[in-house]
Amino acid sequence: MSRDERFSRQIRFAPLGRAGQERLAASTVLLVGAGALGTHLADTLVRAGIGRLLLFDRDVVEESNLQRQVLFTEAHARAGAAKAVAAAESLHAIDSRCRVEAFAEEFVPASFGQLPCRPDLILDGTDNFPTRYVLNDLAVRERIPWVYGGAVGAEGMAMAILPGHTPCLRCLIPKAPPTGEQATCETAGILAPVVQMVTAFQSAQALKILSGRHEDVARGVFVVDVWKDSYGLYLGAATRDPACASCGSAEFPALREQPPEAVKLCGRNAVQVLPDPGARIDLELLARHLRTAAAEVELSPYLLRFVAENCRFTVFRGGRALLFGVDTPERARVLYDRYVGAR
Amino acid sequence: MIYLDHAATSRPKAPGVVEAMTAWYRELGVSAERGDSRLTRTVAGQVRETRERLGRLCGVPARQVAFGSGATESINLFLRGFLARGDRVLTTQHEHSAVARPLRALQRDLGIRVEVLPLEAGCDVMSDQVAAALAREPARLLVFSHASNVTGRLLDAPALTRVARAAGTAVLVDACQSAGIASLDFGADAVAASAHKSLLGPPGLGFLAVREGVPLRSAKQGGTGSSRALDQHPESWPHVAEAGTPNTPAILGLGAALAWGAGHDAAACGARLLALLDQLASELESLGARIHSARTGARVPILSFTMPGLDPAEIGALLDDAGIHVRTGFHCAPWVHAALGTEAAGVVRISAGPFTAADELRAPARALARR
Repeated sequence: MSRDERFSRQIRFAPLGRAGQERLAASTVLLVGAGALGTHLADTLVRAGIGRLLLFDRDVVEESNLQRQVLFTEAHARAGAAKAVAAAESLHAIDSRCRVEAFAEEFVPASFGQLPCRPDLILDGTDNFPTRYVLNDLAVRERIPWVYGGAVGAEGMAMAILPGHTPCLRCLIPKAPPTGEQATCETAGILAPVVQMVTAFQSAQALKILSGRHEDVARGVFVVDVWKDSYGLYLGAATRDPACASCGSAEFPALREQPPEAVKLCGRNAVQVLPDPGARIDLELLARHLRTAAAEVELSPYLLRFVAENCRFTVFRGGRALLFGVDTPERARVLYDRYVGAR
Repeated sequence: MIYLDHAATSRPKAPGVVEAMTAWYRELGVSAERGDSRLTRTVAGQVRETRERLGRLCGVPARQVAFGSGATESINLFLRGFLARGDRVLTTQHEHSAVARPLRALQRDLGIRVEVLPLEAGCDVMSDQVAAALAREPARLLVFSHASNVTGRLLDAPALTRVARAAGTAVLVDACQSAGIASLDFGADAVAASAHKSLLGPPGLGFLAVREGVPLRSAKQGGTGSSRALDQHPESWPHVAEAGTPNTPAILGLGAALAWGAGHDAAACGARLLALLDQLASELESLGARIHSARTGARVPILSFTMPGLDPAEIGALLDDAGIHVRTGFHCAPWVHAALGTEAAGVVRISAGPFTAADELRAPARALARR
């Protein structure tokens, strides 16, 4: 079957057309995160005919992912396959002509310089604000359009950012909500439909950006609650902040920050995660959030202990955490960001 | 920050150490025995002075003192240069990995046979244990750590040495935790120590002091600045145990530390620190702690403890967040942890040095009481 035939229904959509399809085929997308958001985005964009996908994820497939993360199977979960690699495998089966490159590693500022080519678009499939700020600061600095998206519980939010033209993520959310105060998929749960709504918005903006139709890109913040049935694009929700550390003063703080250090304890099956000095954590709040997500939650004035995913956590007020039952710093970092997330 | 990890490395260094090292970097900058200029001779004189001080400390002539990168290297060089295939070696359960691991490697490489004398009550090793082991079967070498870096126990090195040498067994002592605190002049065949622990010198330097006439092959060969025309490593001391450019600034730094130490009342200082640590041990016990280090008798200022319901790593984190630097977990002494029954998670170790203030040794119990 010819590529024309394969994409005929999309080409027939006049605002995209053949020219738009050709631009899609020539485009490269950097997608960070291959979880719920990421796998939906990858599935949609590879099916839409993008030329090349650079896919980052440092985590492995688990059974609890299958409820909302497409591209993965029980076999992937059983094997504990790297998400980026498992997703790339499924994407190859969907369209073998799309060049999918999997990076089973954390996306950090230095990752950008090591990409095989400059992406035309950056997509947010992450589950944490520190990485989102890295993407935002890179996108603004490099003047690459990017689309933010986040979902937890039944609620979601997304926004397309055209650097130099529209507000950036820091204009919308200048500072990440303090750790322990953010609901996460582990603490508040997540429904698949909100993922689909958010990624539908993100992918639609992606198609407009990649096909060269920047003028059609949504200006505003998309906010959705699939349980209370409220859906809206809030046009005035974000305005460009001249003092914004990213698109205003171009300080790009996320590109200078170091991720928390994770070091294996000598002779132990345990890892210490140590954020920068100055990180604080509200242990009481975190304990409340974890009540449903973790077991054996035990709070004392100076530390919080809990068990999640076969790992015994001890978290201290300064954001330091000891993770017992974890054998690699990489895994510890994933679990830390998932359950603690202090920076 | 309150620093209570002096058994790992001293902090701060003795007065004069930084200045001596800086002076080398700023003004001297050359190695002894690398050339014949006035500058070289000046540095050689200062290196010789350090060697002489160490020789006096260990009761050997200055030329019998060889510098190396640390006590670990010095111990390795002695074991590899002294032992032969099939030799029997006695050692003790309170050894650091700097002794335990080279012995295990030599078991594999040279087929030496190693007997580990178990710790007796009070974390001690007694001379009658050595006598009994040697009566069962003679041994070529007895090697032991003078003081344990986990229990703080200071072994009766003169007695152990006497018994071994009377049976014709050579003695190597790892004096890392005792140099600068206890006398090293008790007739051992060889003493190795690092500069940066209780001698209060810089890291990256150790020494091996060997009694005259003890046969030692060179276990590491290279440039020595002497016998330059030969392609064989010299057998003369100290070159037999030295190869490559020495760490001259560290040697001069150690010289300054030894000069300071000569005027320092180590006995009074040790008694003061042990009294403070005993007080701290009682306070920790009242918080539920279990003390694993030696409580009475000869020891160096080290206090090891655990607390039920708290992992040593958790205690370390709590103390660190309170601005107190201690060491937690295993302390490169796997045999000791097996003896103490702390092999699962190790211990919290608090260790003090001459500049540790009384207040600083009250801080850990205060921090843990607030928990």
